[in-house]
Amino acid sequence: MNDKNPRVIKKIQKTFAKMSFPNIEVSLEGDVVHLEGSVDSWDDVVRLGYQAGKFKGVGEIVNNVKVKGIVPKKEARQKKKLTTKIYPPKLPKKADVVVVGGGVVGCCIARELSRYNLEVVLLEKEWDVGMGASKANSAQVHTGIGEDSGTLKKELCAKSWPMYEKLTEELDVPYLRNGLLVVMTKDTFSGKMPSFVGNFLSKYLIPPFVVRKGKIVGDKPRVVKRKELLEMEPNLTPRALVGVFHPGYALVCPFRLTIALAENAVQNGAKVFLDTEVTGVLVEDKKVKGVVTNRGMIEASFVINAAGVFSDDVAAMAGAKEFTIHPRKGVILLFDKEMESYITHQVSLLKFPRDPHTKGGAVLMTVDGNINWGPSAVEIPDKNGREVSKEEIDWVFEKYSSALPNFPKSSIIKFFSGIRAPTYKEDFYIKPAKNVRGFVNVAGIQSPGLTAAPAIAELALDILREQGLEMEEKEDFNPVREGIPIFEKLSSEKKREQIEQNPLYGKIVCRCEHVTEGEIVDAIHSPLPAVTVDAVKYRTRAGSGRCQAGFCGPRVARILARELGISEEEVMQKGDGSNLFMKSKVRKRGGKHA
Amino acid sequence: MHEVDVVVIGGGPAGMAAAISAYESGIEDVWLLERDYWVGGILPQCIHDGFGNFVFGEMLTGSEYAQRYINKLRETGVKVRPNTMVLKIDQNREITAVNPSDGLIEVKAKTIILSMGCRERTRYQVLIPGSRPAGIYTAGVIQRYINIEGLMPGKKVVILGSGDVGMIMARRLTLEGAKVKGVYEITKTPGGLTRNVVQCLEDYNIPLHLSHTITNITGRYRVEGVTVAEVDSELRPIKETERYVPCDTVVLSVGLIPENELSKMAGVEIEEKTKGPTVDEQMQTSVPGIFACGNVVNVYDLVDDVSESAERAGKGVAASIGGKLERRKTPIRVKTGRNVNYIVPQIIRNKNLNESTRFYFRVKETEKSVGVVVSANGDKLLEKRERIVRPPEMVRINVPPDTLDKIKGDELTIDVEERKK
Ligand SMILES: Cc1cc2nc3c(=O)[nH]c(=O)nc-3n(C[C@H](O)[C@H](O)[C@H](O)COP(=O)(O)OP(=O)(O)OC[C@H]3O[C@@H](n4cnc5c(N)ncnc54)[C@H](O)[C@@H]3O)c2cc1C
Ligand SMILES: Cc1cc2nc3c(=O)[nH]c(=O)nc-3n(C[C@H](O)[C@H](O)[C@H](O)COP(=O)(O)OP(=O)(O)OC[C@H]3O[C@@H](n4cnc5c(N)ncnc54)[C@H](O)[C@@H]3O)c2cc1C
Repeated sequence: MNDKNPRVIKKIQKTFAKMSFPNIEVSLEGDVVHLEGSVDSWDDVVRLGYQAGKFKGVGEIVNNVKVKGIVPKKEARQKKKLTTKIYPPKLPKKADVVVVGGGVVGCCIARELSRYNLEVVLLEKEWDVGMGASKANSAQVHTGIGEDSGTLKKELCAKSWPMYEKLTEELDVPYLRNGLLVVMTKDTFSGKMPSFVGNFLSKYLIPPFVVRKGKIVGDKPRVVKRKELLEMEPNLTPRALVGVFHPGYALVCPFRLTIALAENAVQNGAKVFLDTEVTGVLVEDKKVKGVVTNRGMIEASFVINAAGVFSDDVAAMAGAKEFTIHPRKGVILLFDKEMESYITHQVSLLKFPRDPHTKGGAVLMTVDGNINWGPSAVEIPDKNGREVSKEEIDWVFEKYSSALPNFPKSSIIKFFSGIRAPTYKEDFYIKPAKNVRGFVNVAGIQSPGLTAAPAIAELALDILREQGLEMEEKEDFNPVREGIPIFEKLSSEKKREQIEQNPLYGKIVCRCEHVTEGEIVDAIHSPLPAVTVDAVKYRTRAGSGRCQAGFCGPRVARILARELGISEEEVMQKGDGSNLFMKSKVRKRGGKHA
Repeated sequence: MHEVDVVVIGGGPAGMAAAISAYESGIEDVWLLERDYWVGGILPQCIHDGFGNFVFGEMLTGSEYAQRYINKLRETGVKVRPNTMVLKIDQNREITAVNPSDGLIEVKAKTIILSMGCRERTRYQVLIPGSRPAGIYTAGVIQRYINIEGLMPGKKVVILGSGDVGMIMARRLTLEGAKVKGVYEITKTPGGLTRNVVQCLEDYNIPLHLSHTITNITGRYRVEGVTVAEVDSELRPIKETERYVPCDTVVLSVGLIPENELSKMAGVEIEEKTKGPTVDEQMQTSVPGIFACGNVVNVYDLVDDVSESAERAGKGVAASIGGKLERRKTPIRVKTGRNVNYIVPQIIRNKNLNESTRFYFRVKETEKSVGVVVSANGDKLLEKRERIVRPPEMVRINVPPDTLDKIKGDELTIDVEERKK
């Protein structure tokens, strides 16, 4: 290890000693600080990581500090082979570029690459794309007002949001630009400040400041006085004083976007492989040579690491671990569509002091009309730790009740969590590996990573060019991808036509969302086949309504079995071992109907 | 746009009985729309016995009970359209439905009978925390899997909630070779009928843990286990009593809710307690010409009661189309009195009825040796003795037409009173 800058190390060690962690080993590699040792709790691990990142000149932190007595859980994945009539195809031996990770970022990169005459392969370990953070987030297209200036996050977010209108139109993805109300209330300043001072600040000083933030990122925000504010949102807390409206803020369906990006990449010649986990990276002479997966090896001189919360593990496989991801869970509550018109704009209450590690969350809605609240932000050791506790549900509900005090808790139809993938510097880390040519880390993609994905992809391509990848534009690249028709949203005329063309569109399978068998069959046979019950759900909404697949579950399973040529017992909800049924001696009675 | 006298939405026992009753009361132009590929509603998957004790004086299976109505239906001229999902109703009684052979169907109905049944509450509605793997089902869903689709949802099962369906499925799963590790019920008393506690749990040595709930579900892809705990008097889990139970399947029997999306679209008033439409003695809702019956109105215990409510609705539409109903000057509001949680019907709109009105109600608390008292303006009209009343078991009381006609004011109250020994 070359310690060119031992002064930083000494400073960090001194601070750690003061924090009563004298035994943590600190070393430096370039501008990356490495930490080793053990402490009593996960919170301490995270604290040390942040602390080290505060010193000037520290680029990133590789935090290998362990919690005493806890052996990190290694996932034993029980890879069962599943061969269906339509999936999976065989891995190629070679590619020009391999993208690891089929989140919104990896898929966006794959689509950008598919504009060129290149063999592009995207590998995703789960049975569908978007199964990581990209399906479990707040779905906001931010403008960048929440990010600190000077960060790459802010730059790429501000660059991306104006691209969304065109992108979602090309890809036929639901997009709703309804704007964000940042609201100041009587509780904006809590604590010791006398309330008249707080109210004065909230009413007169903060709004122009918030307006300026919006203008910097290219939006056209305006101050909204209390009366208009309550007209815009009659159910908003009466404690509201004033708001700032950001018309640039929008919502997108994050998983349909991810799927659409992947499909469009496939339509333009890229290959997407599901259930394909990268387990090793081949490096020779400081150059990347390819990847090893559970399905075999692929040679490639360029590899993009877009593995989300696992990106530090994948980087480590290449010997390019220049950062550590510390998983941060966010819980979101989803409400019944019945409440759809309760609020119509995104609403975020401003509160001081601000929590530095989350943008504060908001009262939101999905493009499909479900109000949702969240997220929370909790540091956790387990990258798969998506469990949601009762306390978390209550916490989220309480917190956002302050915006909508009369909202009924009984209208919750689902709760879930997503895991953010921050580094200790809390910024995107998009760089070629220092010591492995051709290997590019696209990591630390926490919020607003969904929004920023288009600009992240452009940056990643620029880096690949610098690394020596030759890109020659295709003549026949087609940016347009047509989605499956959404029966419920069609006009009566179109509904009739659709059923005439394909009578399966006259058969409703999901009673809550009115999804037809036609849509489900089309999803299964789409450019990126839907192979699981959840994959069908993310493409069609079948099972995402208030009965949560109680009614359509068995029907979707039957259709999947039929179309894939597998038995019902092989049908999985979301991958590995998530089979819905078990082999048994129950005599088959029905079976003819889906 | 078709024009039809009566459109019945939902072909379960309620819908079938309503259609038959309307037809038999002289209305020939009756449509029955059912989204499934069969009629019968929930019944075909209920292969246990216990249906029809009142209507037929026999203990039939659900499928047999349904078959009797299907046979009757065949003798009528009711037009049955299976595979037909109703998507929309509006205030003018215009209905949009869809099926693969006719495509989009638009109907203007003179009268509508809502009989869409109910649906099960999910884990999210009762807020069971934890991870979200495969292997969490509601009881009615696994009933369908096992009894109709021939699919086995799991091998090691924990059941939450002691509703009837949950207990029946505990037995069914056991008979199919699964190990039911226990039924956990958050309240102090079983949620379902006593006969089911005995016949479905005790007879099969399946432990019933009262005052217990599931506090966590674990497993990433498939359920691996649950944490259970005892609850205190306010139903809060007691941390020290938490225990891990390995299992691959969680079955929920945590309540049913009337399926009223269409009713709401039609602007029908919904009761807070029953979560179903407000109905009068004809089973007419707050929107003239729209009637409702069966579990869409209120979750009845027995299918016999469902059929009874449906028959009434069928006669109601016939009377309404024939202009035979005589309105009271002021309708009578039916009020809940002592130890009464809710009552169906909630309102009496007509007079000179030609048969008794049956009130169904649920009590708030279990009580022994009581009198059910119907009164108006402080006058006792009727009293009926009950040996025991329990929240899970509905109480019925018939009030003759002349008794109702005697009521001068606009209120009728039902109380459950202690009887002094
Ligand atoms: C609760 C929450 C709310 C959020 N809200 C917003 C918001 O409102 N707006 C916004 O802009 N952003 C938001 N974000 C952030 C946004 O969701 C993420 O930044 C974005 O989804 C990251 O995309 P990704 O492709 O980098 O990661 P992911 O979606 O996690 O994708 C990584 C993929 O890599 C795969 N993978 C990992 N390891 C391997 C391997 N070895 N081999 C093969 N595949 C592998 C994973 O399975 C996964 O599919 C939110 C995030 C969370 C958690
Ligand atoms: C597991 C279980 C065990 C039971 N055991 C007993 C017992 O032992 N004894 C007893 O007496 N009772 C029992 N019952 C109760 C009895 O089955 C119900 O009371 C009865 O089925 C309710 O009838 P229904 O017609 O109101 O509803 P359902 O049977 O639910 O029928 C409603 C119908 O409406 C259709 N529908 C809904 N929406 C639409 C739409 N938009 N368009 C078209 N069609 C639609 C549905 O597909 C369904 O067929 C049991 C119930 C269950 C679930």
